Amino acid sequence: MSDLLDLAQQTMERARRLGANEATVSVSRSSELSLVRRAGKIEQATKATSRSLSVSLLVDDRFSTHSSSDLRPDALEAFLVRAIGATRVLEPEPERRQPDVALCGRGVSEAELDAVDASFPSLTVEDRRAASEALEAAVDALPERKQVLSATIYVGDSSDSGVRVMSNGFFGERSGTGFGAGVEMTLEEPGGRRPEATAWYSAMHRADLPGPEVLAAEAWKKAAERLGSKAIASGKYPMLLQNQVAGRILGVLGGPLSGSELHQQRSFLAGRVGTAIANSALTLRDVPNLRRGLGSRPWDGDGLVAREMSVIEAGVLRNYYINTYYGRKLGVPATTGGRSNWVVTPGTRTPAEILADVPSCIVVTGFLGGNSNGLTGDFSFGIQGLLVERGEVVAHLSEMNVSGNIEQVLGRMVEPASDVWTWSSTRSPSLFFDSMQFSGS
Amino acid sequence: MTHFSTFGIDAALCRRVLSVALGRGADDADLYFEHSGSTSVALSDGKVNRASTHVDLGVGVRVVVGDQVGYAYTEELTEASMVEAARVAAEIAAGNKHVSPVALTERRLADRYHADIPWEGVDLETRVRLVRDWEQRAFARDSRIIRVETSLGDSFRHVLVVRPDGRMVYDYQPMTRGWVVCTGKDGDKRESSSANLAQRAGLEFYDEARVSRMCHKAVDDTLLLFEAAPAPSGEMTVVLGAGSSGILLHEAIGHGLEADFNRKGISIFADRVGQRIAPKGVTVVDDGTIPNARGTINNDDEGNEAQRTVLVEDGILRGFLHDEISARHYGVSPTGSGRRESFRHVVLPRMRSTYMESGTHSPEEIIGSVSRGIYCADFANGQVQIGAGDFAFYVRRGYLIEDGKLTRPIKDVNLIGNGPDVLATIEMVGNDLKIDEGGWTCGKDGQSVPVSQGMPTVKVSKLSVGGASA
Repeated sequence: MSDLLDLAQQTMERARRLGANEATVSVSRSSELSLVRRAGKIEQATKATSRSLSVSLLVDDRFSTHSSSDLRPDALEAFLVRAIGATRVLEPEPERRQPDVALCGRGVSEAELDAVDASFPSLTVEDRRAASEALEAAVDALPERKQVLSATIYVGDSSDSGVRVMSNGFFGERSGTGFGAGVEMTLEEPGGRRPEATAWYSAMHRADLPGPEVLAAEAWKKAAERLGSKAIASGKYPMLLQNQVAGRILGVLGGPLSGSELHQQRSFLAGRVGTAIANSALTLRDVPNLRRGLGSRPWDGDGLVAREMSVIEAGVLRNYYINTYYGRKLGVPATTGGRSNWVVTPGTRTPAEILADVPSCIVVTGFLGGNSNGLTGDFSFGIQGLLVERGEVVAHLSEMNVSGNIEQVLGRMVEPASDVWTWSSTRSPSLFFDSMQFSGS
Repeated sequence: MTHFSTFGIDAALCRRVLSVALGRGADDADLYFEHSGSTSVALSDGKVNRASTHVDLGVGVRVVVGDQVGYAYTEELTEASMVEAARVAAEIAAGNKHVSPVALTERRLADRYHADIPWEGVDLETRVRLVRDWEQRAFARDSRIIRVETSLGDSFRHVLVVRPDGRMVYDYQPMTRGWVVCTGKDGDKRESSSANLAQRAGLEFYDEARVSRMCHKAVDDTLLLFEAAPAPSGEMTVVLGAGSSGILLHEAIGHGLEADFNRKGISIFADRVGQRIAPKGVTVVDDGTIPNARGTINNDDEGNEAQRTVLVEDGILRGFLHDEISARHYGVSPTGSGRRESFRHVVLPRMRSTYMESGTHSPEEIIGSVSRGIYCADFANGQVQIGAGDFAFYVRRGYLIEDGKLTRPIKDVNLIGNGPDVLATIEMVGNDLKIDEGGWTCGKDGQSVPVSQGMPTVKVSKLSVGGASA
């Protein structure tokens, strides 16, 4: 870590000497290893160590950002000279100045974040190879193996560390590890369709990944749920949105909650803080200090101390994502510029318990394409799923869309289930909506 | 002239690194040197208030054993780092042999994207003037425009591919993209739309005709949205406008014909070469040779010359897009489709510029033949499931077709269908092929590469339209 800090501090000194009034320097180093395995052998192995440096500059209140992987001293000097020269031709914007150092710092200790798996340095290539073999063996041991046309196994991990130095006096160091494992499975059905699905888990600690049997069984279940799929008649149906993919619908809020979209008058959420934008069953918090959380961080993009923030509380909009710059532009206090972990408060019933009571419901298990309009909140997404009647799966669905206006749709989110998905920075349970517009045949 | 100086390396060093890469009994290997730079300037709130630059330098070492790939890269172009990367990549092989690559001969293939005024020689003030000019043009077009953001990005990439068979292929790849985003206000309604232009070209790209087209489109599309009604819902006839509708080909068939998916048997098209998959009159091409197009490449990232690859000829599936690994698997020549995002990534078969050849119908005739349906004019994004063949694309802007005429504008709707089903139901192909001039980027396995797409006006008898109105 000390070499990264040295490089960051030297770069800061150079930038200041060359005329930058303010600067933020980030230097990071990462290493990664990934294995792709199929049909009994390693099909692809990738291994690398990488360094990068990024600098944001304020020169006479003019702002620019720069990054380079060419860290040779001569190249770096020339890079900074060009960067500062380029900044001078811009127009000044004092709103770009750094926040007061008193607002910057670490909001959660390294120990509390627990982002580093201490076993990482001792992991060998053989360990990873063995993990991929175990995963393939679990797929091969599935009773339904004969129906699997192809199974591809993914095993990967990474380690990264970085330092951040700001001219306002803040500096911080952070590090983390990451592990991922997945199975992509393709089946075949009469007529030539080859439905595929992927089970994928990621975590900061290796021990938090599920065992090979869990992954193999989940990949099979997901792929099998896509066999014989078809569209059903367009209409309104209740929807159970599975926990793993809940982020796709909630994510429609991402743009409209951001300071840049509010400032550009492109957000349907402008002026809505303190008002209901969702059913009272929905509570959504931004939690940067979650232990082993995939979106956790000690400070945000401005160096501001990471703090938990209420986004939607019992349906009422509480806060936007506003960084220092847009806070000054909008004349409001900064919150934080970007999301960390999104945590949705779960309910008490399992998805199965909810579904048992519903005469007919579409369970959305995946999305295909689609987008949204941040000015109106309108969205339209392709879906895959299941038609479930009183808890019984009666059809596999594809070639259908779900659409609506996010505010009206969140108003229909009447019950979160109890099954929070923890292998993502969106920690949501499955969500039950009492009526949604689906289009199909 | 050699291009070793760009990277501070020489032929002897490359041979030594390749020897290590091949030293455990690999079938093949390559070194992929890359030095790239990019610059962007952006205007918002009436100020040119943001600039950014990025520099990247490194080498990727790939070792191939049959269809197995070992890959490593380094950003330090020292012998020690490169040899270590080669040693790591070679771990995929399990033997031991002494290999001496033959003497290297540098080749430069076609020159399909000459930049008259390369961006490296353009000062930042010139870029600032451009984005300022675009902003003023947008505001001048209509008083309902309340916000304008513009940006200009440009980049260059020096690439050197070195192969053990002595091939050494250099390429210089320029790219630029201009962008205008408008927000308009009409009464208490607000709408936003954008337009962009992209090419492998220098400063000369931004001529009067193109710039005014981009700025006017951003404004006019924004204003049109004030008139737009919710899109309909359910299965109906869809007419795809000429140009960016090529996204349908990209998703419905293009990905499914990338040979890596077929080699693994996981594409719905895997067993269909030689079969009819579309009506007569439908010819689909993936072309790396269109002068200056965003998806054009002189050579691919394995050093093979780009080509024009006919995928579907008069309705018959002719073949796949190959890199060297899949070409060897199928016993065919590579199609110059092996691409990678950067030296940090392995080669995959990828699209370049994908389009359908013109047919015989006029666009008016096609629209006139539809009693009820939608016409798609502008697209945002798409996605496909390779095996099931289901694909989707998102329409930002279009029109209802009623009794053979375009009537109300519609907006923001996802369309979904199945690739082979949709290809089989193409009813009419227009005579107006247009390659879209916008900046499309294709994502696959976590890698992004620039692509182009094009289409004549095309009528499809049935697609599922995901509108909100029942």
